[in-house]
Amino acid sequence: MKTPPEDHEWMRWMDGEMTPAESAAFEKRLESDPDLRAEVEQARHLTDLLRAEMPADMQVPHADFFNSQIQVRIAQESDSSRRPVAEGGWLRQLFRSVASPWGFAAAAALVALLVVMRPAADSRSADSTWVTSSYTPNPSVTAHTYHSTAAGATVLELDGLPEIPAEKKVAGLRVDHAQQDRGGQVASFHDATGTPLLVMSLDAQGRPHPWSPRSR
Amino acid sequence: MSPRSWIALFLLAGGASLALAQEPPSKPRPVGTAVPATDGKVWGALVYAVDDAADLTGSQAAAPKVVGDLAARLGKAFPQRHFEILGDHTQDVFREYESWVVPSADLFLKVDSKGPAEGGGVALHLQFWQEDQVLVKTDAVLRPESPLFIAGPKWRKGRLLFVLQLLESKE
Repeated sequence: MKTPPEDHEWMRWMDGEMTPAESAAFEKRLESDPDLRAEVEQARHLTDLLRAEMPADMQVPHADFFNSQIQVRIAQESDSSRRPVAEGGWLRQLFRSVASPWGFAAAAALVALLVVMRPAADSRSADSTWVTSSYTPNPSVTAHTYHSTAAGATVLELDGLPEIPAEKKVAGLRVDHAQQDRGGQVASFHDATGTPLLVMSLDAQGRPHPWSPRSR
Repeated sequence: MSPRSWIALFLLAGGASLALAQEPPSKPRPVGTAVPATDGKVWGALVYAVDDAADLTGSQAAAPKVVGDLAARLGKAFPQRHFEILGDHTQDVFREYESWVVPSADLFLKVDSKGPAEGGGVALHLQFWQEDQVLVKTDAVLRPESPLFIAGPKWRKGRLLFVLQLLESKE
């Protein structure tokens, strides 16, 4: 008959945890129950084997062994609880470092240094001319602008423009006033004496076509 | 002198007075249009910049006094050392219509007002043309005493620059 799982009195008997009366009663049962007797013998045999391989008294590595083990375990658990925040929150870590007094001072010093070192040519006051946007239809030409504090002017640089042939004569005009027709399709430009210097007409696409009256 | 002679002399004197009281002929206005409203006036110039003064063309054009020492300012913005104005043009900036600043038939500017700018000056849409090709379209706020320098194409031993200066603006 198999000893019911709840009937482990033999463990208490083998460990010497029974009172004398309980021990006497168990030994009486042991004599009348061969299955119980076989189980106890098997357990005793296993115990003997373990005792043969391991010393009866195991020395603790040091006097505070258990306390140190507990502390190591606590440290491990606290590291694992912190790890998800540190891995996913580098920005939060950066903010924490800046939010500290020393971090804030370092950040403020860096910003001040960048402001001081900013190129003077890039400075623009509220009274300066400035370009808000630019577009070059020719993809070979690029435009970039900057304000020259020394010149007190804003420069619009056009890079990639084809050079005008040297043999072409680029002539200037001293225009005193201009006239435009009602539709704005034709404009004429005159000097101070009223002599027309140039006439400009617009085609259907709005492209200008200048021509000099003196050449006709 | 007879009374008829006095009357004739009086009429003659009155007619002469009327003739003298007429306003002198003003500059031609846009043909067929009333005087359009303006948002300001700009001065534009085509400048030739070179390293060696011997390469200048000999132009005698000068900038208006309001522009100040243009050559000195250009010298601080560009590497060249000598500058001469090839041509210039003072033009009204019309409120409703586009206008052209044409100091040269080779390089000129189309100006379209976008109205007075907050804080002073004029907001403009500009198109920089070389003959029948637009080189750049740009939006800018032009302020007094703060010119816009457009660095144009190279020519011969130098470079052509376009200067745009706001002379006056309507607040």
